[in-house]
Amino acid sequence: MTNTAHAAGAPASAAWPIRLENASVTYPNGTAALKNVTLTIEPGEMVAVVGLSGSGKSTLIRTVNGLVPVTSGSVTVGPHEVSALKGRGMRELRSNVGMIFQAFNLAERVNVYRNTLVGRFAAQNALRSFFGVASPDDRRMALEALDSVGMLDKVWTRAGSLSGGQKQRVAIARALSQDPRVMLADEPVASLDPPTAHAVMHELTRLNAERGLTVLVNLHLMDLARDYTTRMIGLRYGEVVYDGPAASATDADFEQIYGRRIQPQDRLGAS
Amino acid sequence: MTLVLPPKPRTWPKTLLIAGALVAFTVLTCLPAIGGVELDFASIAKNWRHGASKLAQLAQPDFSFLPRTWVPMLETIQMAVVGAVVAAAVSVPLTLWASRPTNPNSVTRGIVRTIINVIRSVPDLVYATILVALTGVGALPGLITLFLFDLGVVVKLVSEAIDSDKHAYLEAGHAAGATQFQLNRALALPQSLPLFANQWLYALELNVRISAILGIVGAGGIGRLLNERFGFYAYDDVSVIILEILVVVILIEVASNLLRRRLA
Repeated sequence: MTNTAHAAGAPASAAWPIRLENASVTYPNGTAALKNVTLTIEPGEMVAVVGLSGSGKSTLIRTVNGLVPVTSGSVTVGPHEVSALKGRGMRELRSNVGMIFQAFNLAERVNVYRNTLVGRFAAQNALRSFFGVASPDDRRMALEALDSVGMLDKVWTRAGSLSGGQKQRVAIARALSQDPRVMLADEPVASLDPPTAHAVMHELTRLNAERGLTVLVNLHLMDLARDYTTRMIGLRYGEVVYDGPAASATDADFEQIYGRRIQPQDRLGAS
Repeated sequence: MTLVLPPKPRTWPKTLLIAGALVAFTVLTCLPAIGGVELDFASIAKNWRHGASKLAQLAQPDFSFLPRTWVPMLETIQMAVVGAVVAAAVSVPLTLWASRPTNPNSVTRGIVRTIINVIRSVPDLVYATILVALTGVGALPGLITLFLFDLGVVVKLVSEAIDSDKHAYLEAGHAAGATQFQLNRALALPQSLPLFANQWLYALELNVRISAILGIVGAGGIGRLLNERFGFYAYDDVSVIILEILVVVILIEVASNLLRRRLA
């Protein structure tokens, strides 16, 4: 029941599709985190992956950029067959896939500028990396990315002294400086207070609308999925239990995904 | 109202067992009958007078000897600084190779760790003795000994500290398609710099103390003078040298504490 009619904005030629075919992940400790997942995400779609913690949504999103290898089945992102990649090929794929994290994952003792430049590393030659000197192009792309999330004035600030919302915006800039074709977000607002959470979700929809990026975002809150995304994939115990439009998903649909009654903490609420 | 507690886990039998085993082991190692060390406390009562006369001499430092110590002390400080600085420079790549988060390759990590363990397991006096034979009496063998000693300490302690740290930024860097080298150079190194700085400064402090011993085998610095005065039973001079080492060590510690606070 893939719904491509909800793809936001004009389809961008730059965005890439994502295809999972019978993808399964079993961790070395025997946990089956993903079971036979098959789904197709069209270029430029804004998709929420919803499920409780332990439902496999973190694993699902990490199979897209190869941070977690699939045990069986295949993952295709744009022209790349992810499971077949390693070394240089894997880095080439990853340079096209931006990712942001629940814990922001910035180097706290390093300034905002150097943290953002990490997004340009895949394009940087070894000599420049060794001496830590960015090319004028890399520098420009990093600064433009910071400007687009409104963090340019903090460029020389240590990442550790920023607030949570500022850190997540720097993390978004780091991903944007890659000039990615796909954007992954693993619980991007779970560590933020409600107003900041809404601001970051709004930022993601803007990237989707303005740049036409394919956006895959993990969420556990039902109202965020409904309000900010067009398509929703529900995961429970590593299996897809819902795939359809996000805005019209009913409480019954969410109860099916969660496997229990709706509770107050399943909603963030307006700010 | 009564609070219902879950049953408290019984940990004391285990604690008792471990404590008992430690005590038994310690007692057994002091029994010569079964190959333990022989501790003859009676000999202290017999011989303490010999030591006491030396202590009495040590308690009367002859400060007129001080000017003769300047040059060897300067040499010791030079050896300590140069040894620590060169070891600090070499320790950076080796430490990042020896640490799991900064080197996921278990083969190269194992090789570096093995080399460091070998370097560490050779006593510093052995290095100094061999190097004095190779290069002749002077500051050079002492310098190389200090370098090797510092390298072992810094790489082992810092790589273990990096292992136990969290490095979420590395996952983000890998997700952006960066190489491990790029991430180590740009992020892991500045992120771990306080860990490095702590051990570099500690190595400098150790160097001053160790070089006092290295002089015994002719490896330069204040240690040679110390050894010479010992040879002449000039304990009043010896105590001047010991006091001087104490002052230098304290000065280095004060300076390194100031530096550490600024780096944190």
